[in-house]
Formats: sequence, structure tokens, C-alpha cells
Amino acid sequence: MADMTVSTSALGPATRAARYRRCTDEPRWLRWTVTIVVLALLAVLVLIPLGSVFVEALRDGLAMAVESLGDRDAMAAIRLTLIVAAVAVPLNALFGVAAAWALTKFQWRGKAVLLTLIDLPFSVSPVVAGLCIILLFGANSSLGGWLVANGHPIVFAVPGIILATMFITFPFVARELVPLMTEQGKSEEEAALTLGASGWRMFFTVTLPNIKWALLYGVLLCNARAMGEFGAVAVVSGKIRGVTATMPIMIEMLYNEYLSVAAFSMAAVLTLLALVTLTLKTLLEWRYADQLAASGGRH
Amino acid sequence: MTRTGAWSFRSPSPLPGWGLSLGVTVTLLSLVVLLPVGALVVRAAGIGPAELWATIGSERVLAALLLSFRAALIAALFNLVFGLALAWVLVRYEFPGRKLVDAMVDLPFALPTAVAGIALTALYAPNGALGGPIQDLFGVRVAYTEVGIWIALVFVGLPFVVRTVQPVIAEIEQEVEEASATLGASRTTTWRRVILPMLTPALLTGFALSLARAVGEYGSVIFIAGNLPFKTEIAPLLIVIRLEEFDYDGAVAIAVAMLAISFVLLLLINLIQVWSRRHTAGA
Amino acid sequence: MHIQIDEIAKEFGAATALHPVSLNVPSGALVALLGPSGSGKTTLLRILGGLEEPTSGRVLFDSMDATGMRVQDRRAGFVFQHYALFRHMTVYENIAYGLRARPRATRPSNPEIARRVGKLLDLIQLPDIAKRYPSQLSGGQRQRVALARALAIEPRMLLLDEPFGALDAKVRKELRQGLRDIHDATGLTTIFVTHDQEEAMELADLVVVMSMGRIEQVGKPAEIRARPQTDFVRDFIAA
Repeated sequence: MADMTVSTSALGPATRAARYRRCTDEPRWLRWTVTIVVLALLAVLVLIPLGSVFVEALRDGLAMAVESLGDRDAMAAIRLTLIVAAVAVPLNALFGVAAAWALTKFQWRGKAVLLTLIDLPFSVSPVVAGLCIILLFGANSSLGGWLVANGHPIVFAVPGIILATMFITFPFVARELVPLMTEQGKSEEEAALTLGASGWRMFFTVTLPNIKWALLYGVLLCNARAMGEFGAVAVVSGKIRGVTATMPIMIEMLYNEYLSVAAFSMAAVLTLLALVTLTLKTLLEWRYADQLAASGGRH
Repeated sequence: MTRTGAWSFRSPSPLPGWGLSLGVTVTLLSLVVLLPVGALVVRAAGIGPAELWATIGSERVLAALLLSFRAALIAALFNLVFGLALAWVLVRYEFPGRKLVDAMVDLPFALPTAVAGIALTALYAPNGALGGPIQDLFGVRVAYTEVGIWIALVFVGLPFVVRTVQPVIAEIEQEVEEASATLGASRTTTWRRVILPMLTPALLTGFALSLARAVGEYGSVIFIAGNLPFKTEIAPLLIVIRLEEFDYDGAVAIAVAMLAISFVLLLLINLIQVWSRRHTAGA
Repeated sequence: MHIQIDEIAKEFGAATALHPVSLNVPSGALVALLGPSGSGKTTLLRILGGLEEPTSGRVLFDSMDATGMRVQDRRAGFVFQHYALFRHMTVYENIAYGLRARPRATRPSNPEIARRVGKLLDLIQLPDIAKRYPSQLSGGQRQRVALARALAIEPRMLLLDEPFGALDAKVRKELRQGLRDIHDATGLTTIFVTHDQEEAMELADLVVVMSMGRIEQVGKPAEIRARPQTDFVRDFIAA
């Protein structure tokens, strides 16, 4: 009983404090209204569509969904998507590291121009990107005609899909590395040189370990986008089933043929990939926040 | 000893790899981005301004361009308000599952556009789980109308405003807001005179990114749009249609118009940003 | 090693960091480059270390022209202002870095590297921190590890950029004596940059006062105190 009295009297000032609104807070009713509205919108726009992918895929049961993925053309699409990502992502990582090195460790004229050009793909529609590649490498162009004549077609073939994917994902790695490497400066590299390290040794023992988590972060985002790219690939692939149809293209073809379960099963695979990507990304942000660039607006 | 003049391309540095890294950068950039974009520019120049203008001025193309920019603008404006509210809620308010919601904001970046497209369509179609009730309750058809296009574009543009504004909100020193309150300002006045001006540059950046993305968006839109010429046919789709008809000049004309309008919009937003930074520079 | 600086000048674009300056550093001396920020002292030190390329002029090490020599070949033990310790390596790995970077023919064996790192840790009086990471060290410990790392390559000279700049007053006093002891023990020609006139006067055999990219005066601390040659020197050492 004595405890009760103590706790009741202790509650007095606490309740009053809780009712007191700090001057940096919005009114309680407004806070709750905004929070609920925002979360409801997020549910309707993002969460429910996400769930509906799995619901639609499993409409006729798990067995049907898995069976549709075992289809010969579906397997070919999965294989092609993996091949495209396996070529495009490492090349973009190489580009990102090289560009970030040139941009952050040296003083030279033209840096701003290069930075702008690297960001160019962000302001070009994927469809326009595909069109550009067709104009350069298509059979109607002089370069494309020569390549086709020599048995190396680019457009309506795998190289074109890789180029289109690289175009769209081009800035991803560089944009993660440039702010981080600017922040890190170059004194550790200089220290390695004064200690007698060769250029490559300095790069592999000092630079790379310092940027590895940011590099992984960029590669992760680049990979997610590369495997999911649709617009640019749709234009250059020619959509030949089993040959130049990637997973997103296959989804479109199945959907347009009213093969809903097959389309959503393939979509579910890509959705799982997206969820894994998000999980890894979030883990990286929690665990290695200090070793990623401190810049906002990442994507 | 090399003697460098007053003008030099690069300050000398003991760090190695300048030539190699710039070589790799420029080679890949040229092959993947610059040469293809250059091919578009060359082709457009070959067609000539009169012909380009005639194609762009045709009724169907104008309708498609207008639709693309109108829908993108509406979606970006919606995301501006929604994104600000979401970012504020995520930074300032406590509620269960906040970190999960925070992670979920990036889903539109990670989810392939074609997947988003068919998922939104299935959901908002007249026989879909949300499309049916909405039509019954409000009498609005979502899928296969312009409303559907707005929904798809809101989806793809959603993370931009949140992710640009969120870190800025986190960095606002609450002392500034407290100072405003001690000077007699109501919370509304503090918002209007203190908080919003501080967030304006980030809001504009997020708006611009969201707009640029929405104007060119293709994958998530074509499933839900219905694609009726003059009504729900977006400009990127018309490019694809022209390509399928082997009308390359027609495709190039639309592409050039889209690029030109995007650049003008981005330039305008940049100017506004410079202006607003100058006006908040003292803060 | 005897270091001669012969009419070294440095321009960064339109800005002049160093007007042609000349300086003779006798072998085994402990020299302070003293001046306010922007006086060109760090630029001069970085030119000696091979981290900046002079616009004109020559650097001679023991009368051999070393102007265009690669950083890696100079064997200048360089201690950076914020130490530039490799953040992802332990103290041991940091100190061993220069030895492991040697070509196979001259690279010491692993036990030999361990022995040398141990000796250096004893020299800086931190024998027990080999397994720690730079982020787990105090400022003073970081500075001593940076010094040990520079000494590990058996340098021909020691170059230190504001070695005490980032430390609080008490640690600063201790480490000053530490640097003096290491200099006396190794006999290395040592040049350090500082903006603190008391530090320069107390520690150095020879003080070089710099301002606006020029050398104002060179002399023993007592000489500079007794006979400042310019108004700038008089004002600066009075401050």
C-alpha cells in the first residue's frame, strides 16, 4: 500500500509534464493526424502493391508459381538478366572507382564538366537512352552496319542490352564514392607513398579498404537497378523470347498475354531481390554509417 | 625540372594513376553515354529544325508531351508535400516501426519499374482490390486513366523529396525554433518564417529530381495508363511506337523535345535554387 | 644528411606560395620552419618530401640533385599534420607498412619485421598498443605511432608537419622532449613546421622564420631573440 501512495504522488508532476507541449512540437492532434495520413498513403502506394505481387503470384498456389519459373523461356530470361548484371555492374564499378579517383585526388580544370556529364543519365528518359544506342549502333547507322556485317550486332542483341543497362546505372557507384573520397582527403595515400609503397600497393592496401563499404553500397544499388531496368532495355532488346528478353521484358510479355501468375511469379523473384537489396542497404547504413558518404539524397 | 606556366590543366601531384583513371573514365563515359547521346544530337541536326518542329507540332505528339509533363508536374507537386510530411514524421515523431517505414521509403528505388507497373495496375484496376472500392466510393476510375499515371509517377518519385529533405531536417538545431518561440512567434509562424525557408533548397532539389524522373518514366506507367492516343499516351511510349514503325526521325523529334523541355525545367529550378540560397545565405 | 634548398619557388595557379627561397640544413640538425599560416612553410616541407613539385629551383640531398626524385625513393620520414594513420590497420600493421612495401629482395623477413616494430614501439614508449586501431588511441599516442611508422623505413631525414598542432598543452610539452630524444638518439636531420614560436625556440637548433612565401631570418634561437632582422620577426617572436 505504501508503494502505491509513493507511485501515485510521483505520477502527479509526470502527468503534468506530459501534457505540457514543448515549443518545438506541433500540437498532439496534428502530429497524430499527419502521422496517420502519411503512413496510410505509404501503405496504399508502396506496401499494398508490394504485397499484391506475392498475392497474385501465389493465386494458383506455390507449385504453379514455381512451375512457371521453370519454363524454358523464363529460365533463359533469368540467365540473361544475370549475365547482363554480371558484365554491366563490374564495369560500372570500375568506372566509378576510376572517376572518383580522378575527381577527388587531383586538382584539374574540367572537374565540374565531368561531374555534370556523369549525372547526365539521371536526366535522360530510359526510352531516350535506348533510342540513342539504336541510333549509334543500329543496323541503319554506319558504325552499326559495319558491326552487323562483321557478325557483331549490338542492337537487338545482348551487347546492346548491356550498353543500355550501363547507361541507366552509370552514375550509381561514382556518386557514392565521390563525396566519401573528398571527405577522406589524400593524406593517407601520401603517407603510403612516403613509406615507399608503389601506386598499386597504395591503392590496394590503403584506398580500397577505406572505400570498400561505400563501394559495396554503390554496387548494391547499381545491381538492383541493372537487374530491373526496363525502358532502355525494352527499346534495344527487340524482345526475342528466350534470346534477348530479360526478366522485366519477360514480365511485360507474360502480362500482355494475360499469363498473370507467370508474370507475377517472375515479378516476385525481382521483388525478393529488391527486398534483399533494401535489407543489405539498411544494414550497411546502420553498421557502417561512418564509412559511407555523409551526403544526403542517396539512391 | 619541368616548368609549369601560369595556366596548367592540372596541378602536379605525387599521387599516381591520374592518366589511367582519367583514361578509363573518359573511355567508358564516351562509349556508354557521350557517343550515343551525340548520335541523337547529330541525327536531330540532320533532320533540320523545320522538319523537327513539324513532327513535334503534330496533334498526337503535342498531346503526349503535354500529358507527360502535366502528369509529372502533378506527381512531383504531390511528392513535394507528401515527401516533406513523411520526412518530418520520420525525423521528429516517435512511433512503433519507424525504422522499418524509413527503410521502406527506398522501395521504389529498388523495385523494378515493370514490377511496380503491373502491381499497381492489378491493384487499381476496376476489378482490383483498391480500384473497385475507389470507383464505388468516389466514382473515380484510376487505372487506364490519367489518374493511374499520376499514381505510378508518385510511386517512382516518392523517395527523392524524402531523401533530400530528411538529412536537412535532422540538422536543424532546435535552438533556432526555440529562439523563434521565445520571440513570440506561434508554431505556425515558426514553420512559415523559420523552418520552411531552411528546407527550401532541399525541397526544390528533391522536387527537381522527382520531376526529372517522372517526365521520362516508362516502365511503371505503360501498364496502368491505358495508352489511348490523345488521352493516356505518354511521350516515351510514343517514341517506342515510332521506333516500332521504323519512323526513326519521328522518334528523334519527340526525344529532342523531351530533352529540351527537361533541361529548361532543370535550369529554371537551378535558378530558383540559386536565388533562394542567396536569400537564405545569412541563416 | 645534408639538405640544400636552392632557389625553390612554388606557384598554385596564380597564387605564389613560395618566392624563390634558399636554405642550407647541415647534417644532423634539428630545424624549425616557423611562421603564420600561409607563410609557405608547409609547402616547403612537402617539396622536400616530394609531395609537391616546385615550380622552379633545386633540392640537393648530400649534394645530389633530388628535385625530380619520386616520393617513394626519397626515404623521407614524413609525419603528417593529422598523422594520416591508416585507419583500417592496427598500430603494428601501420608501423610495418613501409617494410612490407619494399621489393622482395630487400624486404625483411616476418620475424625481422616483428623485431623492428617491437623496437620502435619501445622507442616511442608504447610497447603494449600493437594490436590497437588508430581510433582507439589518444592524440599523443597517434602522434608517436606516426613517428614510429616514419622511422621504420630507416629514413634519411625526418620531416614533421605541425607535429604538436593537434595536441593539448600538457601532452605537447611531453612530446616535445620525446622528439628531441629521438632526434638525439637517431642523429637524423630533422625539419619540423610550427606556428608556435615558443615551441620552435625551445626545441630547435636552428629556426627559419617565414612569412608570405619568403624566409625572413635564419638563426639559432638565441640569435633570433637577440637580433631580429626584420619588423615581422620582431613582432612575431614577441607575440
